[in-house]
Amino acid sequence: MSDIEVTITVNGAKHCLEVGPKERLLDTLRERLHLTGTKEGCGVGECGACTVILDGEAVHSCLVLTAQINGSKVLTVEGLEVDGRLHPLQEAFIKHHAVQCGFCTPGMLMSAKALLDKNPNPTREEIKTAIEGNLCRCTGYEQIIEAIESVAKEFRGVSS
Amino acid sequence: MFSTVNKPVERVDAHEKVTGRAKYGADLQFTGMLYGKVLRAKHPSAKIKNINTEKACSTPGVWAVMTAQDVPCNEIGVILQDQQILAKERIYYIGDGVAMVAAESLEVAAKALEAIEVEYEEISGIFDPLESRSSDPIHPDRNSNEVVHHKLRKGDVEEGFAGSDVIIERQYETQFVEHSYIEPEAVEAVPYENGSLVTIYGSVQNIFATRDAVARCLKADLSKIRVVQNHIGGTFGGKDEVVSAMACRAALLALNTNRPVKMVNTREESIVESYKRHPYKMNYKVGATKEGKLVAMEIKAVADGGAYACQTPFVTWRSVVQATGPYEVPNVKTDTYGYYTNNVYTGAMRGYGSPQVIFANESFMDELAQELDLSPLEMRLKNILRNGSITASGQKLDRHEVSLDQVIEKAAQAIGYEEKYKEYSKPQSGAKRRGIGMAISYRGCSLGAEAVDGAGAVLSIQKDGSVYLYSGLSENGQGLKTVFCQMAAEELGIDIKHVNFLESNTLISPDSGSTVASRSTLVGGNAVLDASRRAKKALADFLASQYNLPAESLVFKDSHIFTSDGKKLISFAEAARKAFWAGVQLSHVGWYVAPSIHWDEEEGKGSPYFTYVYGCQIAEVEVDMGTGEVTVLNMAAAHEVGRAINPATLKGQIYGGVMMGLGYSIMEEVETEEGYITNTNFDEYIIPTSKDMPNIIPIIVENPDPDGPFGAKSIGEPTLELGAAAIANAIAQATGKRIRSLPLNLERVLLGHPLRKGRGKK
Amino acid sequence: MIDYEFLKAHSLNEALDYLGSYENVKVIAGGTDILVDIRKENERAKSLKYLLDISKLKELKFIEGRKDCMAIGALSTHTMLVESAVINKHFPLLVSAAKTIGSTQIRNRGTVGGNINNASPAADLLPPLIALKAHVKLRSAKGEREVLIDEFLAGPYRTNRQSGEIMTEVCVPLLGEGYFMNFQKIGRRKAMNIARLNLAIVLGINDGAIFDSRVVPGAATAYPMRFRKVEEAISGKDIKDIDLAEIGELASDEMISATGVRWSTPYKRIALASLVKRALETIFMEAKADE
Repeated sequence: MSDIEVTITVNGAKHCLEVGPKERLLDTLRERLHLTGTKEGCGVGECGACTVILDGEAVHSCLVLTAQINGSKVLTVEGLEVDGRLHPLQEAFIKHHAVQCGFCTPGMLMSAKALLDKNPNPTREEIKTAIEGNLCRCTGYEQIIEAIESVAKEFRGVSS
Repeated sequence: MFSTVNKPVERVDAHEKVTGRAKYGADLQFTGMLYGKVLRAKHPSAKIKNINTEKACSTPGVWAVMTAQDVPCNEIGVILQDQQILAKERIYYIGDGVAMVAAESLEVAAKALEAIEVEYEEISGIFDPLESRSSDPIHPDRNSNEVVHHKLRKGDVEEGFAGSDVIIERQYETQFVEHSYIEPEAVEAVPYENGSLVTIYGSVQNIFATRDAVARCLKADLSKIRVVQNHIGGTFGGKDEVVSAMACRAALLALNTNRPVKMVNTREESIVESYKRHPYKMNYKVGATKEGKLVAMEIKAVADGGAYACQTPFVTWRSVVQATGPYEVPNVKTDTYGYYTNNVYTGAMRGYGSPQVIFANESFMDELAQELDLSPLEMRLKNILRNGSITASGQKLDRHEVSLDQVIEKAAQAIGYEEKYKEYSKPQSGAKRRGIGMAISYRGCSLGAEAVDGAGAVLSIQKDGSVYLYSGLSENGQGLKTVFCQMAAEELGIDIKHVNFLESNTLISPDSGSTVASRSTLVGGNAVLDASRRAKKALADFLASQYNLPAESLVFKDSHIFTSDGKKLISFAEAARKAFWAGVQLSHVGWYVAPSIHWDEEEGKGSPYFTYVYGCQIAEVEVDMGTGEVTVLNMAAAHEVGRAINPATLKGQIYGGVMMGLGYSIMEEVETEEGYITNTNFDEYIIPTSKDMPNIIPIIVENPDPDGPFGAKSIGEPTLELGAAAIANAIAQATGKRIRSLPLNLERVLLGHPLRKGRGKK
Repeated sequence: MIDYEFLKAHSLNEALDYLGSYENVKVIAGGTDILVDIRKENERAKSLKYLLDISKLKELKFIEGRKDCMAIGALSTHTMLVESAVINKHFPLLVSAAKTIGSTQIRNRGTVGGNINNASPAADLLPPLIALKAHVKLRSAKGEREVLIDEFLAGPYRTNRQSGEIMTEVCVPLLGEGYFMNFQKIGRRKAMNIARLNLAIVLGINDGAIFDSRVVPGAATAYPMRFRKVEEAISGKDIKDIDLAEIGELASDEMISATGVRWSTPYKRIALASLVKRALETIFMEAKADE
């Protein structure tokens, strides 16, 4: 099995890598780049714990082979904080108690960010659709939805 | 009244979790780390004739291949030590490990497993506890397949039935359920680290039980084994024995290779190997007067204990205590049984023997109400426990406020129960029909008579006024860290941001038993309070001598110490600094043992728990009569908790519990076929998504408990145990048909009976 | 464990070259089906030796109007379908179906070509595409051919694609005046469902009478197909003369005559009838309102 050369940008930083044919983006992030914020919960694209933003869209990184995405841009949970300042979604998750065990949290944040980047004014139903692929066993989803709603409201009001 | 407690304080661990900094078991890396993988059984019941590991050993990149022969002590278990770390001569269930390897990469480990040759001789297995109870013992060293039999006796049921106007008899059944924590089990074993023989890191729910297992397995002193808990991605009771077994395996490989070994389960491995919630088959025979007063109940519940005893003895004990439901019943005869089978083993899962019996008893209360032409609400109000009532076990409830009437009233009001019940009782036509159903429960807090119920904490005031805290109990995601920090901050009158809850670590935290039974706030919290009070007293005594004031008169608040008439004396930080330099001891151990309760196993009666919490959940559903699809529209959840230390995290427990109950009720089932598990990942074992949420109305009722820290009791399990019964009762009203087995999936709801798959083995 | 070599195509011709030169090649685009198959070591992945990545072939990712049809490139994602103004306008049926596939993350990667070529009996796009009489275009080194989608399907997870062929696009003929359509799906929860049953119906109704009928249940038979007996029973009839319960039962009978009685039959016979009734009811109401 021969390695494939790819160059990908992760959280703004460029990486030139040689990856195996079976290496998933999830593995590249966690094992090669030591960005362990993105989690593996199932490996079959059901739980969403591995969600990252790939070229502007939320995807399951367990179902993307790194060899496929030469030239692509990836955003993970580690990339949300900028210069020590939390992203409004991260602050909202803390404020609205949207975090319990925290394992689904990175994936939820990325799905939420992808949604708000595309649609800054989502309805509650649209928020649910954006996170329907992110399973949570602890929170029952309510406080997560409230957190995302609060950020959408903020964006609608005064933009900072 | 309070400054930190009873406030929706932000979780102390939220920042690290939202930034991806929090490290979970699988996130850790150690220099020279190897990957451990386990070869699992091909059949659920078999003899192992031979294991050939030659090819695996000579695979490049493989550092160790081990079997049961290499294990100093191969049997572990919290109650009965019958769980094999690796299968020696017999396979008892499909998830048994047969051999294991440590290799330089996961790829090499997988190749090595493929190269191990195992010769099996299949033995026909038993997959129904009703069959195994009268079959030859599955475990050769036992006399029968009975794991346990508990009984509860009150009055005389035969007399009771003779004096009843109506007697109904029903059977109910529940399914295997998977915890489905989003984080699969993960451990690392590091040899000879930090003064230990081996240190275990990872998703360890119960650091002391895992330490016990590893020490036993290695035949080493407890004090030589160190277990450290990382952030855990959910447990719900499920990361106990399965993780202990993993820790033993990783420890063996680590000591064999003298390198750190990482073992992470795939989701498939997790579902096939880890223990499940017990399926129950229950028989209820109930006699009542025509006015609706319960007179006699005879209950038999049979639990599928699976391959190993695990916590079956304790789970079925809670069931025997609570099987009647929260009602005054003068005559009760309850028997609960656990039997071995060759199914996946069963153990602790949120609820711990309550969700099953609640499904049954709350369903039959509605069925009985219907027989007597009473509404479900009337039926319950006539029989609920109240202050001074005597429970089924003969315990008088007079130490705390029995608040069933309160939770019922509040839930009913919040969801508009009475009007809706009347409305949906009228004949409905059309493809979509609605129903509303309720379920109530009482829940004994903490371990009860199962075990010694003690917990410890260490609180240490630093010389800069900041405080660190160790507890023997663990943060599983439920918010324990935050709640304990709130209590410490409240007691010491300081800002919570200066209280740091440190990792659970067996070399520092006092052995406090398991983080189970919703006991953390109650028992663990009291230990934290004890430690806080001791440290506070040391500081107060010092200040008393400094200022020549009586120590008891000093007031600790707003990060300062004041006199009794409000004069500010000194800041907490400055007081700590002075005390430190004066040689005052500022590190204190707190300990709490729950009030004494007793249980007579022979007689089947006693005071099984020292306090109780009460809950009522009411579900409003819409059923699609043409397809069997169920939509839960609204769910009111009223829970009496003593005191809500953190109302926001408490609400989180309610939302989460309701959703878990919804999954249990209408969609979750581990499908087994002659011992093989056929749905091994989340594409086939389905749990609720965001779209499945009803509108949830959480209601917190507070009646401070004399024994709880700041009056607090429990919340974790009560929120989950009611959902299935409430939804089942609502569906029964909507469809006019009563279904007595879970889950109430498409087939059961449409047809009114289960439809069994006919599938081949995987 | 399945091992394979990774091949990457930078152009359609390169892809066709690879397909022609290697054996046991499987194509990967979004990866949401094939990677799961590989992990589970399913039958359809067992003999895999080469994985040919075509995800970067931009020339296959489009939705454009042609004279008589909408052409959907094989690499168009389900999200693209859902968000396309023209698909929403002409074929809301396809949008309804695409919305129910997987989750947002899956829809962002999963492709129309992938859904068709995977040919799951429960695939959500197949009943609508069959009911819309779509045809697929297949390119090989030797040239191009067009196949009607119902002729393209050969069995559960099997199509009539030849080993050297790549699907380039799906063409959906535009409908004239008087057409109505409806999609139904039953799942075990409210999102991320593999269909327990699904159904696509397209009817042409003029002056209250049905002049064209296409009825395609999914997850009901070995692979989705048009239920001709049901279509015959309602063709030419006035919608007010149609007994919905009867037609529902007819659909169930047609399903059972194709599959025989299975363990799931007691459930599916009732549920399919309900879906057919429901779809027709909805369409008839729309048609009445339209008059």
